[in-house]
Amino acid sequence: MSNQQTKMKSAHLMGLGEEFEPLEFIVTPEMNQQYLYAEEDFHPMYIEPRGDGPPLVHPGLLLNMSNNTRSPSFYLPPGWGEIHAGEETEYINPGRVGKKFRVTWKVIEAFEKRGRPWHVLDILVVDEDGVIIMRRKMTNTFASWELKR
Amino acid sequence: MVRITKDTEIGQEFAGKPKKMIWERVWTFSGGVFTSQGWPKKNLHTDIEFAQNLGLPTVGVSATQYLGHMAELMIDLFGEAWLNHGRMSNVKFIKLVVDGDMLVSKAKVVGKEQEGSTVKYVLDIYVENQNHDKVLVGTATGIAG
Repeated sequence: MSNQQTKMKSAHLMGLGEEFEPLEFIVTPEMNQQYLYAEEDFHPMYIEPRGDGPPLVHPGLLLNMSNNTRSPSFYLPPGWGEIHAGEETEYINPGRVGKKFRVTWKVIEAFEKRGRPWHVLDILVVDEDGVIIMRRKMTNTFASWELKR
Repeated sequence: MVRITKDTEIGQEFAGKPKKMIWERVWTFSGGVFTSQGWPKKNLHTDIEFAQNLGLPTVGVSATQYLGHMAELMIDLFGEAWLNHGRMSNVKFIKLVVDGDMLVSKAKVVGKEQEGSTVKYVLDIYVENQNHDKVLVGTATGIAG
C-alpha cells in the first residue's frame, strides 16, 4: 500500500502490520513548558540546564506526542473517535530539550470485541542521535454513533 | 530525593500530589502545540460537541495526561533514573475522567527482588478521582540502589 493510500485510510480500518506515517518534531523549551503547565509539574530538571546537557523532556509530552492521533496520516471520518483503553510503557532513556524526535507506529494486533474494532500499536520514540527514548504498546478501540446502532 | 530505597517494605503505600483537571490544563495538553494553526484542535478532549457525537456525555480527559501524573510519581519514588529503566504495564483506563475531576496517583509496593547490588520493586499503581473511584489501574516497576 502506498503512503498516499495509507494516508486516506481510516485508522479503524488499519490492518495487522500496517504503519502510520512517522512524526518528527523538535522539543523547544517553550513546548516543554506547555506540557509542564498541562501536567502541573514544574520540577527544575525540566527547566534548567544540567551538568550533562539540556533540561529533560517531560514524560507527559512524549506520551502525548506519541499518541497515534499525532501521526500525519491519522484519519477518522466525522463522527468517529479513538478511545485509549490500555497501555504498556517502557522508559529507556530520557529525552533532551532541543533534540528532534521521531515517532513510529505499527499495528501489531487488530481484532473485534463486542462489535468494536480494537488495535494494539507498537510505538517507538527515537531521538536524532538514534537513542531509543521510549517504547509503548497502546491499546485502542473506536467509538461512533454508527457503532452504537 | 527518592522515596523508595533498598529498605522500603512490601505493603508500603505512596501518593502523588492531588491535581484538579481544569479545562485550561486539559486544552493545553490535548489541543496541540500552541504554535499550531487553529489551536486548540477540536477533539474529544477539547470539544463537547465532538465528544457528544461519539456518544460520550462530555469531553473526556486524555488518558496520557494522567498517565503522565503517574510517571511523575514514579520519578518522585525512584528518582530521574526511572526514565532509564521504568515500566508501566497492564495499564487500563477504566473510568472517564472529566473537566473538574480531582485526581491522585497512588502506588503500593507488592514485590521486591534483589538484582545484584540493586533492588527491583513491583508496585500496584492506580489513579483515583475525588469519589475514590479508580480511573487507571496497572503495575509499575522501578529499581532502587
